[in-house]
Amino acid sequence: MNETAFAQLSTLLSGLILFFGIALLWRRSLHAYIDAFQWQSAVLAALLVIVGYFEQDVELYLVAVIFFVLKVIVIPRYLNRLETRVGGEREMRPYVNAATSLVVSGALVLLAYVITRPLVMASTLPTRGGLPLAIGLVFVGLFVVITRKKALTQVVGFLVIENGIALMAVLGTFGIPFIVELGVSLDLLMGFLVMQVFIYHIHGTFESIDVEQLNQLKH
Amino acid sequence: MIDSYWLEVVQGLLALLVAPGLVGLVRWVKARLQNRRGAPPWQPYFELRKLFQKEAVISKNASWLFRFAPYIVFGSALMVVLLVPLIAAPLPLGGIGDLLVVVYLLLLGTFFLALAGLDPGTAFGGMGASREMTVAAIAEPTIALAIFTLALSAGSTNLGRIVTQTLVDPSIAGSPGRVLAFVALFIVTLAETGRLPVDNPATHLELTMIHEAMILEYSGRYLALIEWAASLKLLIFLSLLANLFAPWGVATEPTLLALGVGIVTWLFKLALLGVIIAVLETRVAKLRLFRVPELLGLSFVLALLAVTSSFLLK
Repeated sequence: MNETAFAQLSTLLSGLILFFGIALLWRRSLHAYIDAFQWQSAVLAALLVIVGYFEQDVELYLVAVIFFVLKVIVIPRYLNRLETRVGGEREMRPYVNAATSLVVSGALVLLAYVITRPLVMASTLPTRGGLPLAIGLVFVGLFVVITRKKALTQVVGFLVIENGIALMAVLGTFGIPFIVELGVSLDLLMGFLVMQVFIYHIHGTFESIDVEQLNQLKH
Repeated sequence: MIDSYWLEVVQGLLALLVAPGLVGLVRWVKARLQNRRGAPPWQPYFELRKLFQKEAVISKNASWLFRFAPYIVFGSALMVVLLVPLIAAPLPLGGIGDLLVVVYLLLLGTFFLALAGLDPGTAFGGMGASREMTVAAIAEPTIALAIFTLALSAGSTNLGRIVTQTLVDPSIAGSPGRVLAFVALFIVTLAETGRLPVDNPATHLELTMIHEAMILEYSGRYLALIEWAASLKLLIFLSLLANLFAPWGVATEPTLLALGVGIVTWLFKLALLGVIIAVLETRVAKLRLFRVPELLGLSFVLALLAVTSSFLLK
């Protein structure tokens, strides 16, 4: 593989982004999840700037700014407000415990490497080394949504999946058309606000955001 | 190609002399950071001399294993010191200086130390042995995986070859796999050498001790050998971290100048890593024991990612 500075830097930053995603499986407090998501989005915005610089694409700078404002400032502010209102709980008993989750996440990233191997072999992009990490991030986000019990953690897991898809777009196609980017950001914001309303209602009904409590609605 | 066996003798003696000083340096920096004066960095030398002069008291329930184990622990640590490239690479004994040999020699020492903890039948010894085995069970494959990442790019699991290959081709030194492997190996260093946040080296409280619990029954020359072996282990791990990932300065030819440069850069790298460990120990609190497998699981995942990214991206 051609170890240019661009290739190494993009793979290194993708690895760091994946690391923040894996931190969701290890930490327990809800505030730590919001922090990890903020750092992850900040590094992703930095990666957008770097790709824009190396590919001489000015549009990517604008996309990076929108991304930064949306995911590092706006959404975490809403999340923090949500957490002060309904939080105070920690992820103490997830469906899969922390040590096993970490090993499973390693297996998931391994799976991502195996799946994207034909793509990485056939590609000639300098950023192709980070593609398996992006798909791995999507898997890890999905795993967080499946195995965690607090509604807030599941929301952060969903946002991490979205980050993984954005990372794939950055590495695989050097960004997507500006209009599409705006549409996706708006959809994400709308989805997040709806989820927020849901969490307020869950908390109002059960005095807790443990989604196992929703099983009581079955009868 | 360095052929003279004098190099091995020099390296062994140097390591034996420097190891207690390294532990003393870490303690001294920690003391200064905690606003204490602290003992001077050469205090462990006085402690070793005191211990060698004292009488060894052995419990009546202890078997031959109790008397045998300190020599095995010290011997295996010394053997690893002769195989790992500290000041020069490749070494005359480097032919057997394979990654797996080093990992299993270290594990041999840990195994016999745990057995020695169990032997006198005390409660603390058994507790320390079981905790140590929990840590070692997860830490050992991580060491192998992390160094294997380097072996992949060097084309051989021989430690001397890994060092010389990175010197020959510096561009592979910054690849993401190696960064991940460094972080994983650093976490394992903290675990295997009994540093915070895994184990507090300065405590004798039942709640928090792992390594100290196993050696609680030892005294006199046995304790001196075990303490020396523990400081040798710290030296080995820090040298691995320094020389495998940033090998510049290691001597590759048998001239006196190259060896001098090798010794000076090795001491500098050890001091730097020691200071980093002291700062880290001051910053973090000890992890609760049920969370230690989580930390080691994280380092295992990082090592796994390192190997995968180095292997599947070729």
